[in-house]
Amino acid sequence: MGLSRRAVLAGAGAAGLSAGSAAGLAGCGFAPSSSDSAKDTLRFTTWGTDAELAGFRTTIAAFEKAHGGARVELNAVPYEQMFTNIDAQLQAGNPPDVFRVPYYTFGAYAGRGQLLDLSSHLPSGFSDRFTPQAWAAVQRKAKPYGVPHHTDTSVLLYNKKALADVGVTDVPTRADQAWTWQQLEQVLRKLRTALPASQYPLAVNWQGNGVTRWLSWLFQADGRFLSADLSQPAIQSAAGTAAVDFTRALFPDKLVPPNNSVKSTTLAADLWYGGTVPLSFGGAFQLPDADSAVDFEWGASPAPRDVRGGGDFGGNALVATAKTKRPGLAASFLAHVTGEDQMRAFCERASLLPTRRDLVAKGIRFQVRPDLSRVFLGQAGVVRASDSGQVASPSMSGIISVLQDQLEQTFVGDQATAAALSGMTSGIAKALAA
Amino acid sequence: MSGAALPRARSAETRTAYAFLSPTVLLLGLFVFVPLGWALLISLQHTNGFGEGGFVGLRNYGRLLTDARFWRAAANTVLFTVLVTPLSMLLGLGVALLLDSALPLRALFRSVLILPMAVSGVATALTGLLVFDQDRGIVNAGLRSLGLHAVHWQSGGVAAFVSVVVVTLWWRVGFNMLIYLTGLQALDPLLQEAAALDGAGWWQRLRHVTVPLLAPSTGFLVVINVIYSFQVFDIVFVMTGGGPGDATSVLVTYAYETGFSQRDQGYGAAIGVVLLVLTLAFTAVQWRASRGGDVES
Repeated sequence: MGLSRRAVLAGAGAAGLSAGSAAGLAGCGFAPSSSDSAKDTLRFTTWGTDAELAGFRTTIAAFEKAHGGARVELNAVPYEQMFTNIDAQLQAGNPPDVFRVPYYTFGAYAGRGQLLDLSSHLPSGFSDRFTPQAWAAVQRKAKPYGVPHHTDTSVLLYNKKALADVGVTDVPTRADQAWTWQQLEQVLRKLRTALPASQYPLAVNWQGNGVTRWLSWLFQADGRFLSADLSQPAIQSAAGTAAVDFTRALFPDKLVPPNNSVKSTTLAADLWYGGTVPLSFGGAFQLPDADSAVDFEWGASPAPRDVRGGGDFGGNALVATAKTKRPGLAASFLAHVTGEDQMRAFCERASLLPTRRDLVAKGIRFQVRPDLSRVFLGQAGVVRASDSGQVASPSMSGIISVLQDQLEQTFVGDQATAAALSGMTSGIAKALAA
Repeated sequence: MSGAALPRARSAETRTAYAFLSPTVLLLGLFVFVPLGWALLISLQHTNGFGEGGFVGLRNYGRLLTDARFWRAAANTVLFTVLVTPLSMLLGLGVALLLDSALPLRALFRSVLILPMAVSGVATALTGLLVFDQDRGIVNAGLRSLGLHAVHWQSGGVAAFVSVVVVTLWWRVGFNMLIYLTGLQALDPLLQEAAALDGAGWWQRLRHVTVPLLAPSTGFLVVINVIYSFQVFDIVFVMTGGGPGDATSVLVTYAYETGFSQRDQGYGAAIGVVLLVLTLAFTAVQWRASRGGDVES
């Protein structure tokens, strides 16, 4: 018994990286059936909220109607399983034709030859439908390996009464009028003075892979973490120093809860829902949950700005796998889901932001809290292509780990700013070289 | 039976034995030895998560020597094992002694204590979070209601480690109790009676009669608890994620992070193989020691 448990866990749980495990996953019902090898059937793997999955089903129905004989087999999996599942399928040579991927994970697949180069499969001028920052997020060496299906970005969600109680009633709603870092700090200090010791002014949503949202501070200080050609670390800078200094000071000054660090298992949203903080960073995707879970009056304000406005280019791309036997059909599907009507319906239903220029210009209205649509759209507008393009680096998985380690040591381990930047620089260099 | 019939009977018996063994051998081979061999192979490669890896010999093992995070995770794993193994066995023995006596409702208590064994590690950890959540957990709510300071169960390194140990104990004590209870019920009551007649008190009977007679159960539990502790993953992953910093990072969470989050699968596999070697070494030592004890007794 000891031997078998030891072996199973050591082999599959810890080291569990073998293609044997991968084949096991693929053969145990995690993978969509490959028996349906019909010529016009696409296998599409995704995770999603109920609203997102309903949106995908509607889109698929419209696609199948428009492409007589074509079929799209939707395989919805929990997010927690999504990428171990996809990786196992890719290793086993049995990947889906199309799958959904966050922008910060996109590069790991595009940079390792796992995705279909769409250059020759998309019509000329196809890129014109997207905003520059969205199109930059699906590029690898100037070629598109996916389509930007939607984006999301973080703004400040706030408890109106808590802010009013400290005299803050004029809360900005336009990105160009967002609080500066100094103004935000003043609000946080007012809240700190008024709140009991068990409550804190702010929670930041940089937990887990959300550590890429820390980069918003860097972008707001007009910094970069990678050089323009994405080949060298560039975080050792005045902007990097400013971003680390500002965010690390939040902890000793008790402006954020001590368990709001980047490796914490407590999410910022839970701290806000539970009333531990009156102010929290959150994305548009949280609006339906917030609308039903929060029993206080709340609003949204753009993320703060420093040298300039900046934010995270969140959201997901849709990609086709390099080994798909139906590249043309897959490209048609990707073009279809990013059509104006399809994208509008999907984003409005699921509280997500469009990546199309026309929809950004015309605006959309979320089905839940439509009054906040403009705040999120405005915030997404300050994200630059030079920012989102860095996150598409194929080394992003390694860079995320470096950011997590260094920021955690800085926020809860008293690491100095200079040491943090030095650690980030050497770690990013190693990640780029790996 | 004739001389010719005997070899035929033996041959049939052998075939039957192989037939009975074959499903187990097949399953062990497929789900244990093949993945293990594969993990060993991957640990000698540099991989990016896809396609064939490049052979790098023992370079991944060399990296371990200078990786401070690996050593921190190894030290945490050892500390966790040193704390959880004796504590879960002591508590298990104590509860087993209680339930072996004429305790009212002992069937109910036994069921309640065994219940956590039926719950998955993830569910156990989520329950642990309800109790130890820093902001809204039951323990801190109780402390605040008494006017005491809340404990930083997620942001304080020592407190986070303690919370993981306590939840693991809750999960494991039932199993230890069950094994000890089985051992206790197999003991000859005449030995206890003889010791009592010789004037031995409760503590002396426990120390000099019961505990030595439970040595086989103890030996089994030491091995199992050490193996479980070396492999701890789900409770740490859900409750603390290895944090704050690396205060609760253990070898398996670190292997998972490197293998699956960073897609440095060769290095992750090397950590897994080190864990396997440590576990095998400990088990071999323990078996050898217990066999020596058997011979002496």
